[in-house]
Amino acid sequence: MKVLVVDDEPLARERLVALLGEIDGARVVGEAGSGAALLEAAPALQPDVVLLDIRMPAMDGLEAARHLAALEAPPAVVFCTAYDEHALAAFDVHAIDYIVKPVRAERLRQALDRARRYGGEQLRRAGGSGPERQRTHLCARVRGSLVLVPIGEVAYLQAEDKYVVIHHARGQVLIEEPLKDLEEEFGDRFVRIHRNCLVARDRLVGLLRTPDGRTLARLDADGVELEVSRRSLPGLRKLVKNL
Amino acid sequence: MSDADDHRWLPPFCSLPTLFAVMLVAELVALIVVLAPGADGATLMRLGIVSVYLQWLGLLNAVVLCSLRGALDRLTPRSGLLIAWLVMIGVTTLAALLIQTMDRALALGLTGSGAAAARFVPANAVLCALIGAALLRYLFVIEQWRERVRAASKAQVDALQARIRPHFLFNSMNTIASLIRTRPADAERAVEDLSDLFRAALGASGARGTLGEELERVDHYLRIESLRLGPRLAVRRDLDALPRAYALPPLLLQPLVENAIHHGIEPLPEGGTLDLTGRRVDGGWEIAIGNPCPAQPVRRAGNGHAIDNIRARIGYHFGDRAALIAAPGDGCFRVIVRLPLESPMNVPAQ
Repeated sequence: MKVLVVDDEPLARERLVALLGEIDGARVVGEAGSGAALLEAAPALQPDVVLLDIRMPAMDGLEAARHLAALEAPPAVVFCTAYDEHALAAFDVHAIDYIVKPVRAERLRQALDRARRYGGEQLRRAGGSGPERQRTHLCARVRGSLVLVPIGEVAYLQAEDKYVVIHHARGQVLIEEPLKDLEEEFGDRFVRIHRNCLVARDRLVGLLRTPDGRTLARLDADGVELEVSRRSLPGLRKLVKNL
Repeated sequence: MSDADDHRWLPPFCSLPTLFAVMLVAELVALIVVLAPGADGATLMRLGIVSVYLQWLGLLNAVVLCSLRGALDRLTPRSGLLIAWLVMIGVTTLAALLIQTMDRALALGLTGSGAAAARFVPANAVLCALIGAALLRYLFVIEQWRERVRAASKAQVDALQARIRPHFLFNSMNTIASLIRTRPADAERAVEDLSDLFRAALGASGARGTLGEELERVDHYLRIESLRLGPRLAVRRDLDALPRAYALPPLLLQPLVENAIHHGIEPLPEGGTLDLTGRRVDGGWEIAIGNPCPAQPVRRAGNGHAIDNIRARIGYHFGDRAALIAAPGDGCFRVIVRLPLESPMNVPAQ
Protein backbone atom coordinates (compact mmCIF):
# COMPACT_ATOMS: atom_id res chain seq x y z
CA MET A 1 0.00 0.00 0.00
CA LYS A 2 1.61 3.22 -1.21
CA VAL A 3 1.37 6.12 1.18
CA LEU A 4 2.10 9.80 0.56
CA VAL A 5 2.70 11.97 3.64
CA VAL A 6 1.72 15.64 3.43
CA ASP A 7 2.43 18.13 6.21
CA ASP A 8 4.08 21.53 6.25
CA GLU A 9 6.02 20.69 9.41
CA PRO A 10 9.10 18.56 8.79
CA LEU A 11 8.99 16.97 12.24
CA ALA A 12 5.36 15.97 11.84
CA ARG A 13 6.25 14.26 8.55
CA GLU A 14 9.23 12.61 10.16
CA ARG A 15 7.05 11.09 12.85
CA LEU A 16 4.43 9.78 10.43
CA VAL A 17 7.13 8.24 8.26
CA ALA A 18 8.66 6.58 11.33
CA LEU A 19 5.30 5.20 12.43
CA LEU A 20 4.50 3.96 8.92
CA GLY A 21 7.84 2.14 8.87
CA GLU A 22 6.53 -0.07 11.65
CA ILE A 23 3.29 -0.94 9.91
CA ASP A 24 3.38 -4.02 7.69
CA GLY A 25 2.24 -3.47 4.16
CA ALA A 26 2.61 0.30 4.25
CA ARG A 27 5.26 1.90 2.07
CA VAL A 28 6.01 5.60 2.03
CA VAL A 29 6.36 6.64 -1.60
CA GLY A 30 6.87 10.32 -0.97
CA GLU A 31 6.52 13.37 1.24
CA ALA A 32 5.11 16.77 0.39
CA GLY A 33 5.28 20.03 2.35
CA SER A 34 2.26 21.76 0.83
CA GLY A 35 -1.00 21.20 -0.96
CA ALA A 36 0.51 22.34 -4.24
CA ALA A 37 3.46 19.96 -3.86
CA LEU A 38 1.03 17.13 -3.18
CA LEU A 39 -0.96 17.83 -6.33
CA GLU A 40 2.24 18.02 -8.33
CA ALA A 41 3.57 14.72 -7.01
CA ALA A 42 0.39 12.67 -6.75
CA PRO A 43 -0.19 11.88 -10.45
CA ALA A 44 3.28 10.38 -10.87
CA LEU A 45 3.50 8.60 -7.53
CA GLN A 46 -0.05 7.24 -7.69
CA PRO A 47 -0.39 6.72 -3.93
CA ASP A 48 -3.18 4.55 -2.53
CA VAL A 49 -3.45 6.67 0.59
CA VAL A 50 -2.61 10.30 1.30
CA LEU A 51 -2.04 11.29 4.94
CA LEU A 52 -2.98 14.95 4.74
CA ASP A 53 -2.49 17.72 7.27
CA ILE A 54 -5.37 20.18 7.25
CA ARG A 55 -3.69 23.44 8.23
CA MET A 56 -1.05 24.31 5.72
CA PRO A 57 -0.02 27.61 4.18
CA ALA A 58 -1.33 28.77 0.78
CA MET A 59 -3.66 25.82 0.11
CA ASP A 60 -5.04 23.91 3.04
CA GLY A 61 -5.57 20.16 3.17
CA LEU A 62 -9.33 20.37 2.68
CA GLU A 63 -8.92 22.14 -0.63
CA ALA A 64 -6.06 19.89 -1.75
CA ALA A 65 -8.33 16.89 -1.14
CA ARG A 66 -11.00 18.40 -3.37
CA HIS A 67 -8.49 18.81 -6.18
CA LEU A 68 -7.26 15.23 -5.75
CA ALA A 69 -10.73 14.09 -6.75
CA ALA A 70 -9.91 15.25 -10.28
CA LEU A 71 -7.35 12.45 -10.65
CA GLU A 72 -8.20 9.40 -12.71
CA ALA A 73 -7.67 7.10 -9.73
CA PRO A 74 -7.90 9.34 -6.68
CA PRO A 75 -6.18 8.10 -3.52
CA ALA A 76 -7.97 7.60 -0.22
CA VAL A 77 -7.49 10.62 1.99
CA VAL A 78 -6.85 10.39 5.73
CA PHE A 79 -6.72 13.78 7.42
CA CYS A 80 -4.30 14.37 10.26
CA THR A 81 -4.70 17.46 12.35
CA ALA A 82 -3.67 18.81 15.69
CA TYR A 83 -7.06 19.96 16.85
CA ASP A 84 -10.45 18.70 15.79
CA GLU A 85 -12.29 21.91 14.97
CA HIS A 86 -12.09 20.81 11.33
CA ALA A 87 -13.58 17.33 11.75
CA LEU A 88 -16.94 18.07 10.16
CA ALA A 89 -15.43 19.87 7.20
CA ALA A 90 -13.15 16.90 6.66
CA PHE A 91 -16.08 14.56 6.37
CA ASP A 92 -17.71 16.99 3.97
CA VAL A 93 -14.95 16.24 1.52
CA HIS A 94 -15.48 12.55 2.25
CA ALA A 95 -12.29 11.63 3.94
CA ILE A 96 -11.80 7.96 4.65
CA ASP A 97 -10.74 8.77 8.17
CA TYR A 98 -9.64 11.54 10.42
CA ILE A 99 -6.89 11.23 13.00
CA VAL A 100 -5.58 13.71 15.55
CA LYS A 101 -1.97 14.54 16.34
CA PRO A 102 0.05 13.28 18.05
CA VAL A 103 -0.93 10.25 15.99
CA ARG A 104 -1.01 6.88 17.72
CA ALA A 105 0.43 3.91 15.87
CA GLU A 106 -2.68 1.76 16.36
CA ARG A 107 -4.95 4.57 15.22
CA LEU A 108 -2.85 5.00 12.09
CA ARG A 109 -3.08 1.28 11.41
CA GLN A 110 -6.88 1.43 11.70
CA ALA A 111 -7.03 4.32 9.27
CA LEU A 112 -4.91 2.45 6.74
CA ASP A 113 -7.17 -0.60 7.12
CA ARG A 114 -10.18 1.53 6.32
CA ALA A 115 -8.39 3.02 3.34
CA ARG A 116 -7.58 -0.47 2.07
CA ARG A 117 -11.23 -1.46 2.36
CA TYR A 118 -12.84 1.58 0.80
CA GLY A 119 -10.17 2.98 -1.54
CA GLY A 120 -10.34 6.38 -3.16
CA GLU A 121 -13.79 6.13 -4.66
CA GLN A 122 -15.27 8.08 -1.77
CA LEU A 123 -13.38 11.15 -2.83
CA ARG A 124 -14.46 10.87 -6.44
CA ARG A 125 -18.14 10.68 -5.57
CA ALA A 126 -17.83 13.75 -3.41
CA GLY A 127 -16.11 15.80 -6.10
CA GLY A 128 -17.99 19.03 -6.81
CA SER A 129 -21.01 18.23 -4.69
CA GLY A 130 -22.60 20.21 -1.93
CA PRO A 131 -22.12 23.80 -0.82
CA GLU A 132 -18.47 24.15 -0.07
CA ARG A 133 -15.97 26.81 0.76
CA GLN A 134 -14.34 28.83 -1.96
CA ARG A 135 -11.24 27.25 -3.34
CA THR A 136 -8.08 29.30 -3.75
CA HIS A 137 -7.11 27.49 -6.93
CA LEU A 138 -8.77 25.82 -9.89
CA CYS A 139 -7.34 22.49 -10.83
CA ALA A 140 -7.18 20.92 -14.29
CA ARG A 141 -5.90 17.55 -15.41
CA VAL A 142 -3.48 17.89 -18.28
CA ARG A 143 -1.94 14.72 -19.72
CA GLY A 144 -2.06 12.83 -16.44
CA SER A 145 -0.74 15.59 -14.21
CA LEU A 146 -2.58 18.30 -12.34
CA VAL A 147 -2.29 21.98 -13.22
CA LEU A 148 -3.21 24.51 -10.55
CA VAL A 149 -4.38 27.98 -11.44
CA PRO A 150 -4.60 30.49 -8.57
CA ILE A 151 -8.07 31.97 -8.66
CA GLY A 152 -6.58 35.48 -8.65
CA GLU A 153 -4.89 34.84 -12.00
CA VAL A 154 -8.07 33.86 -13.81
CA ALA A 155 -9.23 36.53 -16.29
CA TYR A 156 -12.34 34.85 -17.59
CA LEU A 157 -14.08 31.49 -17.87
CA GLN A 158 -15.76 30.43 -21.06
CA ALA A 159 -17.99 27.39 -21.52
CA GLU A 160 -17.36 25.26 -24.61
CA ASP A 161 -19.38 22.08 -25.11
CA LYS A 162 -18.98 20.11 -21.89
CA TYR A 163 -15.82 21.92 -20.81
CA VAL A 164 -15.03 25.27 -19.32
CA VAL A 165 -11.92 27.01 -20.64
CA ILE A 166 -9.97 28.89 -17.95
CA HIS A 167 -8.21 31.88 -19.48
CA HIS A 168 -5.50 32.88 -17.05
CA ALA A 169 -2.28 34.85 -16.88
CA ARG A 170 -0.19 32.04 -18.32
CA GLY A 171 -2.52 30.52 -20.91
CA GLN A 172 -5.62 28.37 -21.01
CA VAL A 173 -6.68 25.05 -19.54
CA LEU A 174 -9.84 22.97 -19.66
CA ILE A 175 -11.81 21.83 -16.67
CA GLU A 176 -14.90 19.69 -16.44
CA GLU A 177 -17.00 21.77 -14.12
CA PRO A 178 -20.32 23.37 -15.00
CA LEU A 179 -20.05 27.14 -15.39
CA LYS A 180 -23.09 27.50 -13.15
CA ASP A 181 -21.30 25.83 -10.21
CA LEU A 182 -18.30 28.08 -10.68
CA GLU A 183 -20.57 31.12 -10.72
CA GLU A 184 -22.13 29.99 -7.45
CA GLU A 185 -18.82 29.33 -5.78
CA PHE A 186 -17.01 32.47 -6.94
CA GLY A 187 -19.94 34.86 -7.33
CA ASP A 188 -18.12 37.63 -5.49
CA ARG A 189 -15.17 37.43 -7.84
CA PHE A 190 -16.72 36.82 -11.27
CA VAL A 191 -19.65 38.36 -13.06
CA ARG A 192 -21.68 36.71 -15.78
CA ILE A 193 -21.67 38.63 -19.06
CA HIS A 194 -23.10 35.93 -21.29
CA ARG A 195 -24.73 32.53 -21.09
CA ASN A 196 -21.32 30.98 -21.68
CA CYS A 197 -18.97 33.43 -19.99
CA LEU A 198 -17.87 34.65 -16.54
CA VAL A 199 -15.42 37.55 -16.22
CA ALA A 200 -13.25 38.51 -13.23
CA ARG A 201 -14.73 41.72 -11.86
CA ASP A 202 -11.34 43.33 -11.30
CA ARG A 203 -10.33 42.72 -14.91
CA LEU A 204 -13.27 44.53 -16.42
CA VAL A 205 -12.35 47.98 -17.78
CA GLY A 206 -15.36 49.03 -19.80
CA LEU A 207 -18.11 48.36 -22.32
CA LEU A 208 -18.16 49.31 -25.96
CA ARG A 209 -20.71 49.26 -28.75
CA THR A 210 -20.02 47.82 -32.18
CA PRO A 211 -21.53 49.43 -35.32
CA ASP A 212 -23.89 46.48 -35.70
CA GLY A 213 -25.43 47.10 -32.26
CA ARG A 214 -23.72 44.43 -30.15
CA THR A 215 -22.05 45.25 -26.84
CA LEU A 216 -18.59 44.03 -25.94
CA ALA A 217 -16.91 43.91 -22.54
CA ARG A 218 -13.28 45.00 -22.60
CA LEU A 219 -10.78 43.35 -20.26
CA ASP A 220 -7.50 44.85 -19.18
CA ALA A 221 -5.54 41.86 -20.48
CA ASP A 222 -4.17 42.34 -24.03
CA GLY A 223 -7.27 43.98 -25.41
CA VAL A 224 -9.59 41.01 -24.99
CA GLU A 225 -13.17 41.87 -25.91
CA LEU A 226 -16.02 39.52 -25.10
CA GLU A 227 -19.62 39.58 -26.19
CA VAL A 228 -22.20 40.71 -23.65
CA SER A 229 -25.69 39.21 -23.78
CA ARG A 230 -28.69 41.48 -23.69
CA ARG A 231 -29.82 39.87 -20.47
CA SER A 232 -26.64 40.65 -18.53
CA LEU A 233 -26.29 44.15 -19.95
CA PRO A 234 -28.24 46.21 -17.36
CA GLY A 235 -26.41 44.68 -14.39
CA LEU A 236 -23.08 45.05 -16.12
CA ARG A 237 -23.71 48.71 -16.96
CA LYS A 238 -24.25 49.43 -13.30
CA LEU A 239 -21.07 47.58 -12.39
CA VAL A 240 -18.96 49.45 -14.96
CA LYS A 241 -20.36 52.79 -13.84
CA ASN A 242 -19.05 52.11 -10.34
CA LEU A 243 -15.56 51.21 -11.52
CA MET B 1 -7.06 47.21 48.69
CA SER B 2 -5.86 44.12 50.49
CA ASP B 3 -7.31 40.67 49.93
CA ALA B 4 -9.09 40.67 53.30
CA ASP B 5 -11.12 43.64 52.16
CA ASP B 6 -12.40 41.84 49.11
CA HIS B 7 -15.28 40.06 50.77
CA ARG B 8 -16.25 42.68 53.36
CA TRP B 9 -19.81 43.82 53.11
CA LEU B 10 -19.96 46.41 55.93
CA PRO B 11 -18.74 49.84 54.92
CA PRO B 12 -15.64 51.14 56.74
CA PHE B 13 -17.19 53.61 59.23
CA CYS B 14 -13.87 55.17 60.08
CA SER B 15 -13.17 56.14 56.49
CA LEU B 16 -13.60 59.79 55.57
CA PRO B 17 -16.30 59.33 52.91
CA THR B 18 -18.47 57.31 55.29
CA LEU B 19 -17.93 59.76 58.16
CA PHE B 20 -18.87 62.59 55.86
CA ALA B 21 -22.05 60.76 54.84
CA VAL B 22 -22.92 60.23 58.52
CA MET B 23 -22.36 63.92 59.32
CA LEU B 24 -24.42 65.00 56.35
CA VAL B 25 -27.32 62.80 57.37
CA ALA B 26 -27.07 64.05 60.98
CA GLU B 27 -27.21 67.66 59.81
CA LEU B 28 -30.19 66.94 57.54
CA VAL B 29 -32.03 65.35 60.44
CA ALA B 30 -31.17 68.36 62.61
CA LEU B 31 -32.72 70.67 60.00
CA ILE B 32 -35.85 68.51 59.80
CA VAL B 33 -36.21 68.41 63.56
CA VAL B 34 -35.91 72.20 63.84
CA LEU B 35 -38.11 73.07 60.86
CA ALA B 36 -40.81 70.43 61.46
CA PRO B 37 -44.27 71.91 62.24
CA GLY B 38 -45.04 71.73 65.95
CA ALA B 39 -41.40 72.19 66.91
CA ASP B 40 -41.00 74.97 69.43
CA GLY B 41 -39.58 77.83 67.41
CA ALA B 42 -37.14 77.51 64.50
CA THR B 43 -34.29 79.56 65.80
CA LEU B 44 -30.60 79.43 64.88
CA MET B 45 -29.89 78.85 68.52
CA ARG B 46 -32.05 75.73 68.52
CA LEU B 47 -30.53 74.51 65.24
CA GLY B 48 -27.11 74.84 66.80
CA ILE B 49 -28.02 72.82 69.86
CA VAL B 50 -29.79 70.10 67.88
CA SER B 51 -26.89 69.93 65.44
CA VAL B 52 -24.30 69.52 68.16
CA TYR B 53 -26.37 66.78 69.76
CA LEU B 54 -27.01 64.89 66.52
CA GLN B 55 -23.46 65.21 65.21
CA TRP B 56 -22.20 63.84 68.49
CA LEU B 57 -24.72 60.99 68.27
CA GLY B 58 -23.76 60.23 64.67
CA LEU B 59 -20.03 60.21 65.36
CA LEU B 60 -20.54 58.10 68.47
CA ASN B 61 -22.44 55.53 66.40
CA ALA B 62 -19.77 55.57 63.67
CA VAL B 63 -16.98 55.02 66.16
CA VAL B 64 -18.80 52.14 67.86
CA LEU B 65 -19.63 50.46 64.53
CA CYS B 66 -16.08 51.05 63.32
CA SER B 67 -14.61 49.22 66.29
CA LEU B 68 -17.18 46.42 65.98
CA ARG B 69 -16.60 46.00 62.24
CA GLY B 70 -14.17 43.12 62.56
CA ALA B 71 -16.61 41.09 64.66
CA LEU B 72 -19.64 41.99 62.52
CA ASP B 73 -17.90 40.97 59.32
CA ARG B 74 -17.59 37.43 60.55
CA LEU B 75 -21.40 37.13 60.58
CA THR B 76 -23.60 36.73 57.54
CA PRO B 77 -24.53 40.07 55.99
CA ARG B 78 -28.15 39.69 57.13
CA SER B 79 -27.50 39.07 60.82
CA GLY B 80 -24.52 41.42 60.79
CA LEU B 81 -26.66 44.27 59.49
CA LEU B 82 -29.40 43.49 62.02
CA ILE B 83 -26.91 43.57 64.88
CA ALA B 84 -25.32 46.78 63.59
CA TRP B 85 -28.80 48.30 63.50
CA LEU B 86 -29.61 47.14 67.06
CA VAL B 87 -26.25 48.46 68.25
CA MET B 88 -27.10 51.86 66.75
CA ILE B 89 -30.47 51.91 68.54
CA GLY B 90 -28.82 50.83 71.79
CA VAL B 91 -26.08 53.46 71.56
CA THR B 92 -28.63 56.17 70.73
CA THR B 93 -30.93 55.17 73.59
CA LEU B 94 -28.08 55.18 76.09
CA ALA B 95 -26.77 58.48 74.78
CA ALA B 96 -30.24 60.04 74.96
CA LEU B 97 -30.63 58.81 78.53
CA LEU B 98 -27.26 60.24 79.45
CA ILE B 99 -28.07 63.61 77.88
CA GLN B 100 -31.46 63.77 79.60
CA THR B 101 -29.93 62.96 82.96
CA MET B 102 -27.29 65.64 82.52
CA ASP B 103 -29.92 68.10 81.30
CA ARG B 104 -32.04 67.48 84.38
CA ALA B 105 -29.08 67.79 86.71
CA LEU B 106 -28.08 71.10 85.11
CA ALA B 107 -31.72 72.20 84.73
CA LEU B 108 -31.16 73.61 81.23
CA GLY B 109 -34.51 72.35 79.91
CA LEU B 110 -33.04 71.43 76.55
CA THR B 111 -34.74 68.02 76.39
CA GLY B 112 -38.18 69.48 77.01
CA SER B 113 -40.42 69.34 79.99
CA GLY B 114 -43.46 67.36 81.10
CA ALA B 115 -44.88 65.07 78.40
CA ALA B 116 -42.15 66.12 75.93
CA ALA B 117 -39.44 65.07 78.38
CA ALA B 118 -41.04 61.65 78.83
CA ARG B 119 -41.05 61.23 75.01
CA PHE B 120 -37.41 62.28 74.55
CA VAL B 121 -35.66 58.92 74.86
CA PRO B 122 -38.25 56.75 72.99
CA ALA B 123 -38.46 59.36 70.21
CA ASN B 124 -34.68 59.32 69.85
CA ALA B 125 -34.66 55.52 69.65
CA VAL B 126 -37.41 55.40 67.01
CA LEU B 127 -35.88 58.14 64.89
CA CYS B 128 -32.50 56.42 65.09
CA ALA B 129 -34.09 53.10 64.08
CA LEU B 130 -35.70 54.65 61.00
CA ILE B 131 -32.74 56.73 59.88
CA GLY B 132 -30.23 54.03 60.79
CA ALA B 133 -32.11 51.44 58.71
CA ALA B 134 -32.11 53.71 55.67
CA LEU B 135 -28.45 54.68 56.09
CA LEU B 136 -27.22 51.13 56.61
CA ARG B 137 -29.21 49.94 53.65
CA TYR B 138 -27.73 52.69 51.48
CA LEU B 139 -24.16 52.00 52.59
CA PHE B 140 -24.67 48.27 52.16
CA VAL B 141 -25.93 48.65 48.57
CA ILE B 142 -23.04 50.95 47.67
CA GLU B 143 -20.54 48.52 49.13
CA GLN B 144 -22.07 45.60 47.27
CA TRP B 145 -21.98 47.49 44.01
CA ARG B 146 -18.29 48.33 44.49
CA GLU B 147 -17.65 44.70 45.30
CA ARG B 148 -19.37 43.59 42.13
CA VAL B 149 -17.35 45.98 39.97
CA ARG B 150 -14.13 44.74 41.56
CA ALA B 151 -15.10 41.10 41.13
CA ALA B 152 -16.15 41.68 37.52
CA SER B 153 -12.91 43.30 36.46
CA LYS B 154 -10.85 40.72 38.30
CA ALA B 155 -12.79 37.91 36.64
CA GLN B 156 -12.27 39.57 33.30
CA VAL B 157 -8.55 39.80 33.78
CA ASP B 158 -8.42 36.20 35.00
CA ALA B 159 -10.33 35.04 31.96
CA LEU B 160 -8.05 36.98 29.66
CA GLN B 161 -5.01 35.43 31.24
CA ALA B 162 -5.19 31.76 30.48
CA ARG B 163 -5.44 31.44 26.76
CA ILE B 164 -3.06 29.34 24.80
CA ARG B 165 -4.26 28.08 21.46
CA PRO B 166 -5.17 24.38 21.65
CA HIS B 167 -3.60 24.04 18.23
CA PHE B 168 -0.29 25.15 19.65
CA LEU B 169 -0.49 22.62 22.47
CA PHE B 170 -1.24 19.65 20.25
CA ASN B 171 1.22 20.63 17.55
CA SER B 172 3.93 20.99 20.19
CA MET B 173 3.05 17.59 21.64
CA ASN B 174 3.33 16.13 18.15
CA THR B 175 6.70 17.79 17.67
CA ILE B 176 7.91 16.37 20.97
CA ALA B 177 6.62 12.90 20.11
CA SER B 178 8.63 13.09 16.92
CA LEU B 179 11.79 14.40 18.60
CA ILE B 180 11.83 11.70 21.26
CA ARG B 181 12.85 9.11 18.65
CA THR B 182 15.56 11.03 16.94
CA ARG B 183 16.72 13.94 19.13
CA PRO B 184 15.91 13.17 22.76
CA ALA B 185 17.87 16.17 24.07
CA ASP B 186 15.78 18.58 21.97
CA ALA B 187 12.64 16.79 23.10
CA GLU B 188 13.65 17.31 26.70
CA ARG B 189 14.20 21.01 26.21
CA ALA B 190 10.90 21.38 24.35
CA VAL B 191 9.09 19.79 27.30
CA GLU B 192 10.78 22.25 29.66
CA ASP B 193 9.93 25.23 27.46
CA LEU B 194 6.34 24.12 27.08
CA SER B 195 6.02 23.65 30.84
CA ASP B 196 7.21 27.19 31.48
CA LEU B 197 4.63 28.56 29.07
CA PHE B 198 1.82 26.60 30.64
CA ARG B 199 2.88 27.49 34.14
CA ALA B 200 2.44 31.12 33.20
CA ALA B 201 -0.80 30.49 31.32
CA LEU B 202 -2.31 28.63 34.24
CA GLY B 203 -1.46 31.53 36.52
CA ALA B 204 1.00 29.56 38.61
CA SER B 205 3.78 32.11 38.25
CA GLY B 206 1.84 34.80 40.04
CA ALA B 207 0.20 38.03 38.94
CA ARG B 208 3.48 39.92 38.67
CA GLY B 209 6.58 39.18 36.73
CA THR B 210 9.39 41.08 35.13
CA LEU B 211 10.08 42.08 31.57
CA GLY B 212 13.16 39.86 31.67
CA GLU B 213 11.04 36.82 32.55
CA GLU B 214 8.58 37.67 29.83
CA LEU B 215 11.33 37.97 27.21
CA GLU B 216 12.67 34.63 28.34
CA ARG B 217 9.20 33.18 27.95
CA VAL B 218 9.06 34.59 24.43
CA ASP B 219 12.39 32.87 23.73
CA HIS B 220 11.05 29.55 25.01
CA TYR B 221 8.00 29.94 22.86
CA LEU B 222 10.07 30.80 19.78
CA ARG B 223 12.32 27.81 20.39
CA ILE B 224 9.29 25.49 20.23
CA GLU B 225 7.94 27.19 17.15
CA SER B 226 11.24 27.03 15.32
CA LEU B 227 11.38 23.29 15.94
CA ARG B 228 8.00 23.08 14.32
CA LEU B 229 8.44 25.53 11.47
CA GLY B 230 12.11 24.83 10.79
CA PRO B 231 13.78 27.28 8.42
CA ARG B 232 10.48 29.03 7.70
CA LEU B 233 10.82 31.01 10.90
CA ALA B 234 13.60 33.57 11.21
CA VAL B 235 13.81 35.91 14.18
CA ARG B 236 15.54 39.27 14.41
CA ARG B 237 15.95 40.53 17.97
CA ASP B 238 16.95 43.97 19.16
CA LEU B 239 15.86 44.00 22.78
CA ASP B 240 19.01 44.85 24.72
CA ALA B 241 17.86 48.38 25.54
CA LEU B 242 14.94 47.15 27.65
CA PRO B 243 15.10 47.10 31.47
CA ARG B 244 14.94 43.45 32.47
CA ALA B 245 13.69 44.18 35.99
CA TYR B 246 10.69 46.19 34.82
CA ALA B 247 7.57 44.77 36.53
CA LEU B 248 4.67 43.68 34.39
CA PRO B 249 1.99 40.97 34.41
CA PRO B 250 3.07 37.70 32.80
CA LEU B 251 2.00 36.79 29.26
CA LEU B 252 1.77 40.34 28.03
CA LEU B 253 4.15 39.92 25.09
CA GLN B 254 4.18 36.20 24.36
CA PRO B 255 0.57 36.14 23.02
CA LEU B 256 1.46 38.98 20.65
CA VAL B 257 4.42 37.01 19.35
CA GLU B 258 2.20 33.94 19.04
CA ASN B 259 -0.27 36.05 17.09
CA ALA B 260 2.45 37.29 14.75
CA ILE B 261 3.49 33.73 13.98
CA HIS B 262 -0.05 32.39 13.73
CA HIS B 263 -1.32 35.07 11.35
CA GLY B 264 1.93 36.23 9.76
CA ILE B 265 4.57 33.54 9.37
CA GLU B 266 2.60 30.29 9.34
CA PRO B 267 0.30 31.09 6.40
CA LEU B 268 3.30 31.96 4.21
CA PRO B 269 4.66 28.92 2.36
CA GLU B 270 8.19 30.35 2.44
CA GLY B 271 7.84 31.67 5.99
CA GLY B 272 9.33 34.99 7.04
CA THR B 273 11.18 37.04 9.61
CA LEU B 274 9.75 38.00 12.96
CA ASP B 275 11.06 41.35 14.09
CA LEU B 276 11.35 42.11 17.82
CA THR B 277 12.62 45.52 18.84
CA GLY B 278 12.64 47.35 22.14
CA ARG B 279 13.77 50.91 22.69
CA ARG B 280 13.53 53.90 24.95
CA VAL B 281 11.20 56.57 23.60
CA ASP B 282 10.04 59.89 24.91
CA GLY B 283 8.60 59.18 28.35
CA GLY B 284 8.58 55.42 28.19
CA TRP B 285 9.49 52.14 26.56
CA GLU B 286 8.37 50.84 23.25
CA ILE B 287 8.34 47.19 22.23
CA ALA B 288 7.47 46.41 18.62
CA ILE B 289 6.59 43.05 17.12
CA GLY B 290 6.62 42.94 13.34
CA ASN B 291 5.76 40.18 10.92
CA PRO B 292 5.22 39.85 7.18
CA CYS B 293 1.65 39.07 6.21
CA PRO B 294 0.14 37.01 3.45
CA ALA B 295 -0.95 38.87 0.31
CA GLN B 296 -4.55 37.79 0.76
CA PRO B 297 -5.27 37.65 4.45
CA VAL B 298 -6.35 34.19 5.46
CA ARG B 299 -9.37 34.40 7.70
CA ARG B 300 -8.41 32.46 10.73
CA ALA B 301 -10.57 32.10 13.78
CA GLY B 302 -9.75 34.51 16.56
CA ASN B 303 -8.28 37.19 14.32
CA GLY B 304 -7.61 40.27 16.40
CA HIS B 305 -8.82 38.59 19.53
CA ALA B 306 -5.40 38.36 21.15
CA ILE B 307 -4.76 42.04 20.49
CA ASP B 308 -8.02 43.14 22.14
CA ASN B 309 -7.25 40.83 25.02
CA ILE B 310 -3.79 42.28 25.64
CA ARG B 311 -5.11 45.81 25.22
CA ALA B 312 -7.68 45.18 27.96
CA ARG B 313 -5.02 43.77 30.27
CA ILE B 314 -2.63 46.64 29.65
CA GLY B 315 -5.50 49.01 30.45
CA TYR B 316 -6.27 47.16 33.67
CA HIS B 317 -2.69 47.12 34.93
CA PHE B 318 -1.26 50.38 33.58
CA GLY B 319 -4.27 52.62 32.99
CA ASP B 320 -3.89 55.10 30.15
CA ARG B 321 -0.15 55.52 30.63
CA ALA B 322 0.38 52.49 28.43
CA ALA B 323 -1.00 51.63 25.01
CA LEU B 324 -1.10 48.96 22.39
CA ILE B 325 -0.98 50.14 18.82
CA ALA B 326 -1.67 47.86 15.87
CA ALA B 327 -0.14 49.19 12.69
CA PRO B 328 -0.96 47.32 9.51
CA GLY B 329 1.56 48.27 6.86
CA ASP B 330 2.32 47.33 3.29
CA GLY B 331 2.99 43.61 3.29
CA CYS B 332 3.69 43.55 6.99
CA PHE B 333 2.00 44.02 10.34
CA ARG B 334 3.39 45.65 13.46
CA VAL B 335 2.10 45.70 17.00
CA ILE B 336 3.62 48.26 19.33
CA VAL B 337 3.36 48.07 23.11
CA ARG B 338 4.13 51.35 24.81
CA LEU B 339 4.83 51.25 28.54
CA PRO B 340 5.47 54.06 31.03
CA LEU B 341 9.08 54.71 32.04
CA GLU B 342 8.52 53.47 35.57
CA SER B 343 6.24 50.51 36.04
CA PRO B 344 3.37 51.28 38.42
CA MET B 345 3.66 47.63 39.43
CA ASN B 346 7.16 48.20 40.81
CA VAL B 347 5.66 49.18 44.15
CA PRO B 348 5.88 46.04 46.30
CA ALA B 349 2.52 44.35 46.69
CA GLN B 350 1.00 44.53 50.16
